[in-house]
Amino acid sequence: MPLATPPAPHLTRTRAAVTATGLWRAYGSGEAQVVALRDVSVEFASGAFTAIMGPSGSGKSTLMHCLAGLDTTDRGTVNIGDATITGLGDKALTRLRRDKIGFIFQQFNLLPTLTAEENIQLPASIAGAKADPEWLRRVIDTLDLRDRLTHKPTELSGGQQQRVACARALATRPEVVFADEPTGNLDTRSSGEVLRFLRKSVDDFGQTIVMVTHDPSAAAYADRVVFLADGQIVHDLREPTADTVIDTMRGFENRVPLAGEAR
Amino acid sequence: MLRATFKGMASRKARLVLTSLAVVLGTMFVAAAMILTATMEKSVTGVIADAFTGVDAVVTSAEDPAAAQGNTPAATLIPAAVLDTVRGVDGVEAADGDVSGQVNAIGDDGKLVGAFAPTIGFNWNDQSTGYNEIREGRGPEAENEVIVSGQFVTDSGLGLGDTVTAYSYSADRADYEIVGVFGLGGDRDSLAGETQMGFTTTEAQRLLTEGENAYMTIYVEGDDVSTDAIADAVGADYRVQTGDEASEEAAEGFAVVADVMGYIFLGFGLVAVFVSVFLIINTFTIIVAQRQRELALLRAIGAARGQVVASVLAEAAVIGVLASILGLGLGVLLGWGLASLVSSTAMGGLPVQLQVPATALWALAVGIGVTVLSALVPAVKASGVPPVAAMREAVNPPKPLRGITIAGATVTAVGAVLVALGLTDNLGGLGLTGFLAGVGIAFVGITLLTPILSKPLVGLLGAVMSWSFSGRLGKLNAGRNPRRTAITASALMIAVALVTGIATLVSSFKATTEELTDQNLNSDLIVMGQQGANIPTFAPETLAEIKALPDVAAVGDLYGEFFGAEVDGRPTALFASEDLPTSLDIYSGTVAEGSVADLPDDGLVVNESAAADRDLALGDTVPVTFADGETAELRIAAILDDSLLTDGWWVAPAQIEHFTVPKPMQAYIQVADGADVGAVEDQVDDILADEPEVSVANNADFVDQQTSQLDTLLASVQVLLALAIIIAIIGVVNTLVLSVLERTRELGLLRAIGMTRGQARRMITVESVIICLFGAVLGIAVGIGLGWTVQQALEEEGLTSFALPWGLIVGYLVAAVAVGLLAAIAPAARAAKLNVLNAIAYE
Repeated sequence: MPLATPPAPHLTRTRAAVTATGLWRAYGSGEAQVVALRDVSVEFASGAFTAIMGPSGSGKSTLMHCLAGLDTTDRGTVNIGDATITGLGDKALTRLRRDKIGFIFQQFNLLPTLTAEENIQLPASIAGAKADPEWLRRVIDTLDLRDRLTHKPTELSGGQQQRVACARALATRPEVVFADEPTGNLDTRSSGEVLRFLRKSVDDFGQTIVMVTHDPSAAAYADRVVFLADGQIVHDLREPTADTVIDTMRGFENRVPLAGEAR
Repeated sequence: MLRATFKGMASRKARLVLTSLAVVLGTMFVAAAMILTATMEKSVTGVIADAFTGVDAVVTSAEDPAAAQGNTPAATLIPAAVLDTVRGVDGVEAADGDVSGQVNAIGDDGKLVGAFAPTIGFNWNDQSTGYNEIREGRGPEAENEVIVSGQFVTDSGLGLGDTVTAYSYSADRADYEIVGVFGLGGDRDSLAGETQMGFTTTEAQRLLTEGENAYMTIYVEGDDVSTDAIADAVGADYRVQTGDEASEEAAEGFAVVADVMGYIFLGFGLVAVFVSVFLIINTFTIIVAQRQRELALLRAIGAARGQVVASVLAEAAVIGVLASILGLGLGVLLGWGLASLVSSTAMGGLPVQLQVPATALWALAVGIGVTVLSALVPAVKASGVPPVAAMREAVNPPKPLRGITIAGATVTAVGAVLVALGLTDNLGGLGLTGFLAGVGIAFVGITLLTPILSKPLVGLLGAVMSWSFSGRLGKLNAGRNPRRTAITASALMIAVALVTGIATLVSSFKATTEELTDQNLNSDLIVMGQQGANIPTFAPETLAEIKALPDVAAVGDLYGEFFGAEVDGRPTALFASEDLPTSLDIYSGTVAEGSVADLPDDGLVVNESAAADRDLALGDTVPVTFADGETAELRIAAILDDSLLTDGWWVAPAQIEHFTVPKPMQAYIQVADGADVGAVEDQVDDILADEPEVSVANNADFVDQQTSQLDTLLASVQVLLALAIIIAIIGVVNTLVLSVLERTRELGLLRAIGMTRGQARRMITVESVIICLFGAVLGIAVGIGLGWTVQQALEEEGLTSFALPWGLIVGYLVAAVAVGLLAAIAPAARAAKLNVLNAIAYE
């Protein structure tokens, strides 16, 4: 049980929650072809909080979509836990996303017709099940959503909505949570709340989180930052702070001045 | 600005095509109605004109032809002497007298030939071959010879050389040898489905003029003949027309059939147009909502409000024009097809001459006008989009429903008042118009009320569907935009309301008939014929034979005089029974005052309200004129309580001889206790073997016979529902496609977090079914209300029972579910196929 043994993820890399090996992904064909991922191999440790950073068009979103089974790969394999997801059909992928993966998007995370609680229960409801009530209670309390449960999304602030999305992502205790710019639409204070929760869920619950962001201060909450440019991993930073992230980005920009040329 | 509009239209092809379809259907039916009417009129006129070819003048009696209704043409006969006079007029080259009227011929099966269109008997003379063509044999030369029309051969199963029995209201049966078969001009079997028999003039007069040497019409030939000269010669008792005038007059009578058909289709078309209005409003509301940011941008960069309105209206105008032209084109085809169908089935293969009247262009105007006017509301709304909306995320908060609900309640009330006034005859001669207008207005009002009704109803209907999670989401989606759900459901609501209303009336009528038969009619078997142009009768001796059957307890009989009798100077129907006390007993009639036993020959029996209507009391005397001209002072011997089956004026059996047809029309047989009704029915059937006009039926069959025509009516009304269903499907598809578009990101999210394609499909399907069921439930409720209102209004006219057509109601609900499933197919597939990545990235 992850609760009983809070791991020190950056030290004990017991096993990988998500593994990508030799990923290639290109869009279009001929002259117009854009290669989004070039031979990317990366592991995301279980119980760790990893940020993926990179300039626009670097392939960071594509990488996340491929890892999460939302997009297909041209070459290479992706494993979630022990399962290889490359080559799975839509039905199997859908079930995998439902059972093994949690999602937090930048916006439009919630169904407007459902209450906060129903939104949190959504993945379980789709599966025709109920989330573990004890676990749910802890997540809701940690996110301080107890008195917002009956509210509709339109009655919640942006930060509250994103916290509901976090609760939903964690409700089924997925193998991994993918967060795509989760704070992109939030003010500084709400951003802090969401990021502190993500950090906390890694530290306290042993949750694995992969977050795409372009914000160095958000990346600083992670255990590790993977930098992408031009479809390739160009740097791997451990124990980041906002400053080291900014420095890395700056240095990385200086070192690779032709980053945009491939486009 | 306009260029932006048209570019936008190109990108919304599918939705525009669907919307156009509704306009096309409406225009098509309206145009087809106009074309059917004009084409039939032209075709009939053409045929009749052919028949009148060579006829230069026509002489008829100056008496109102209405006086010749029924069986008695006596007043309108032209004596043979007049024919001689006409022949002597300058310029008359030839003149012949025509005798024609209804005869009864007994076919191969022992029953009357041509049950629906009666057999016409006429005198075959030199003029007959002018238009008719002898196909086989020859014309009649002896009194026992007859030439028959092609249709007669088809209907009777008899042919050249066979013997046929025929009789008329005044002449007894005689046998005739078929010596010839003729066809009408253009090698057709009949003019309009009728059967014809040509006799010698003397025989025709024996059958149709009670043997008098007289004619109904004189046809005159002569190129230089003057109608005035003939008129001077024959005097004021006769009417003289030119051949063309007579031809036109004759054509008018035939065109009535086409007119009725035309009105029915016009009705269908107008309902389709009415339903389309909602569809168009909805489509443009949707388009405007989708273009909100684009319109705001246009406003921000300087487009005036008027330009925005114009841009939306221009789109509507393009749709209206294209769809209406297409509808008109299809309407021409449909009208032509229908005219051909009517001609071949009901008019004996009448050659169709397609006519597109100028009035058909009205369909065009209606189509364009309705489209543009329906788009006006969304267009004005579009112009209200503030420029700043371009800069922010489009949010359409649900609008409060208070205003629309108050408006709906007001309009519904106005409609209801009009319906009530129309039904209670408080609008003078405008009763029907008021009623129909009231129904139309009430529909608009109820449509405005549907959004507020949609909340509880959709919740209720949805609760049934919520067994699965995707079903629950579908239900929530259906309740999301009450206005849109309501307006989408309205198309179905109106159609279902109309058919339910009519079905309710039909079932109420059936229930009333059953109740009458079960409770008021104390008989087990009924002898009567199908109502044709002639009233079917049978020989009086038959009554005695039936009474003599060992298992028959009592027989009630009914003689009737419907034309030509007057009571106190007013045309009045008279009844008589050989045994009035027994008959009243069987019809549940009760005597209020006086006595019906031993009714004296000058006795008159009448029901209370009819007596009160003419200020008559027991013992009063009234002058009565019979059809044969006999007059008598009759004394009121008894007054009956009002009762549906016995209301009217009853005379003594002695007066029956003065009736036009002194034969019984109906007999009601009471079978002795313990006797087998079926056995008695067989015995009566044997007695009736030689009675071609009537047959025996038990009470249940009788009710079926009485109501079978209503079933046909109901079936044809269901066609209307089918039409509206097509439009409703379009509307639902339209709304669903929009919902899928609008909720692309939601669908993407759901798919991302694990909703399967099947679940997505189910979600959309449930939304669709709920919308359709909502429309059907509302329509059924409104239809029942409508049916009930009319039934209440007709209660005094005898529609005493109110009954719901349960089978049909269940059928409509099932149909609604089917429509929902059907309409959901394409949008659900679209939702299921959604590319998750694109959906999440959807702008």
